Amino acid sequence: MFLAWNEIKKNKLRFILIIGVLMLVSYLVFFLSGLATGLKDLNRESVDKWQADGIILTEESDKSLLQSSMNLDQVKEVNADESAVLGQISAIAREGDKKANIALFGIRKNEFLMPNVVEGKAFSKEKEVVASDALKEEGFKLGDTLELSSSEEKLKIVGFTNNARFNAAPVLYANLETFQEIKFGKGQNSNMEEQINAIVVRGNIKNSVSDKDLEVIEIETFIENLPGYTEQNLTLTFMIYFLFIISSVIVAIFLYVLTVQKISMFGLMKAQGISNLYLAKSVIAQTFILAFLGVAVGFILTLLTGQFLPAAVPVSFDIVTMLLYGIVLIVVAILGAVFSVLTIFKIDPLKAIGG
Amino acid sequence: MSVLELKNVNKTFGKGHKKVEALKSTSFTAEKGEVIAIIGPSGSGKSTFLTIVGGLLSPSEGNVIINGSSLTDLSEKKRSKVRLNEIGFVLQASNLIPFLTVEKQFKLLDKVKKNNMTPEELKVLYEDLGIEDLKNKYPSDLSGGEKQRVAIAKALYSNPSLILADEPTASLDSDRAFEVMALLRNETKNKNTTTIVVTHDTRLIGYCDRVFKMNDGELRLES
Ligand SMILES: Nc1ncnc2c1ncn2[C@@H]1O[C@H](COP(=O)(O)OP(=O)(O)OP(=O)(O)O)[C@@H](O)[C@H]1O
Ligand SMILES: [Mg+2]
Repeated sequence: MFLAWNEIKKNKLRFILIIGVLMLVSYLVFFLSGLATGLKDLNRESVDKWQADGIILTEESDKSLLQSSMNLDQVKEVNADESAVLGQISAIAREGDKKANIALFGIRKNEFLMPNVVEGKAFSKEKEVVASDALKEEGFKLGDTLELSSSEEKLKIVGFTNNARFNAAPVLYANLETFQEIKFGKGQNSNMEEQINAIVVRGNIKNSVSDKDLEVIEIETFIENLPGYTEQNLTLTFMIYFLFIISSVIVAIFLYVLTVQKISMFGLMKAQGISNLYLAKSVIAQTFILAFLGVAVGFILTLLTGQFLPAAVPVSFDIVTMLLYGIVLIVVAILGAVFSVLTIFKIDPLKAIGG
Repeated sequence: MSVLELKNVNKTFGKGHKKVEALKSTSFTAEKGEVIAIIGPSGSGKSTFLTIVGGLLSPSEGNVIINGSSLTDLSEKKRSKVRLNEIGFVLQASNLIPFLTVEKQFKLLDKVKKNNMTPEELKVLYEDLGIEDLKNKYPSDLSGGEKQRVAIAKALYSNPSLILADEPTASLDSDRAFEVMALLRNETKNKNTTTIVVTHDTRLIGYCDRVFKMNDGELRLES
């Protein structure tokens, strides 16, 4: 630490530049990870909100909620700790010149899919909906009457809930009757069997269905099969991994150049009998100081930037993931330093002193 | 027991017709309390001799024994320990760490080694060498002579049993050069250590107990 710290103090500018590079790299990593989390949330937050373990869809729907269709009475055949019925359609909601893609969830108010209401009140009759507060960013507000693209019916926003987007679309929660009317048109439902898309279950899901037309899927599998979800995730994950590889190479090169510059000085100390171990420790300690400072500043800067971004940018910072990436960056930098340490081991003290 | 003993040590660089015999077969001993001078023309092998004695260069043949342990039998790690504990180098090039102030050059030695001088002894050393005002300066802010004096202080600070100095007075004016030689001699006598000085300057011979002359790799006692 003694050598490491004194050198940083003497050559402030040089080390500030290195910290700057590390900061930019970590900023990029953190930001991309924020973007990845944000995009994930965009797709899955309404599903996470269910806090469910499985979802029952028809076999032939191929894990797609929209393609799945079953009779409401089939819920009686389901055997789970808790179950809740779900109808879903996608549509474009419009009020005046505001419009947005939405997903309508038809649910029963007394079942666990009923969301918390953060503003306004819960729906109590037909044509009333609780909407995702993401719609507020599009300018929608309490009391707005929405026209849906696929229906003549109009829906009224009576409440808002948070964290409720499904496959990037804000969710409108309504009762099953409203859902039926939107889906099949007014008056049709009386002579038709009531249809839903899925049954969401909690608890042990293994033996929850006996009907062979139905299959139960774990929630995580269901999410992975949301359109575009896995593709998007893989893309970002790859970008982050590549960034890790590239940044570790950059950092390693930087530290290596820094070490090479000091070869004669290290040789000098070795000539005086200062051990390789002491020098190695000092280089590693120095790298740790630099990497830690760089990552910490990058971290703070990322969070600050997050504050000033428009709501439309889907970033969301998961502190645990960021800390993990931060630690990985520091470890990667230290591995780079180990590479330089090997160079120090090979220095011939005699060359350095130019005897 | 002699502080230093060389048994039939020689050193050749290169092979075939490019072969240079920098040091011819040499036997040599140095005792406690001795100041030894080695003089000789440029390229005669003085630095080669000194770096072999210091364990920085391995001889082609023969044995170097410092305080009873044979350097040639030791691993590089152990040799480095010997350098740290037994030897004080004053090198031809400056041996100061560029990013440490004068004061911290000594602190570094405290970090890596015990049994260095006490703060009081260091203070006296500072005064003897006239560097007490340089404590907070970096090497880049020192003149050549000041650097040299700090380097000498650094070599003495770790209480070595053998001081190896390659042209320690090269960048000093003659008054300073005499003072530095007197200081090295005093340290050697007071602490009963051994000092070997390589020099061009024959006026410094007066401070030495024995003088050797190096000529084409051959070491011969002068006086
Ligand atoms: N690494 C080496 N490879 C080949 N030849 C070398 C090497 N080091 C020294 N020599 C040769 O060995 C001889 C002795 O060199 P040395 O450095 O010991 O001279 P010196 O007496 O210290 O000279 P100076 O007074 O100029 O410092 C020279 O001829 C030099 O060219
Ligand atoms: Mg020389």
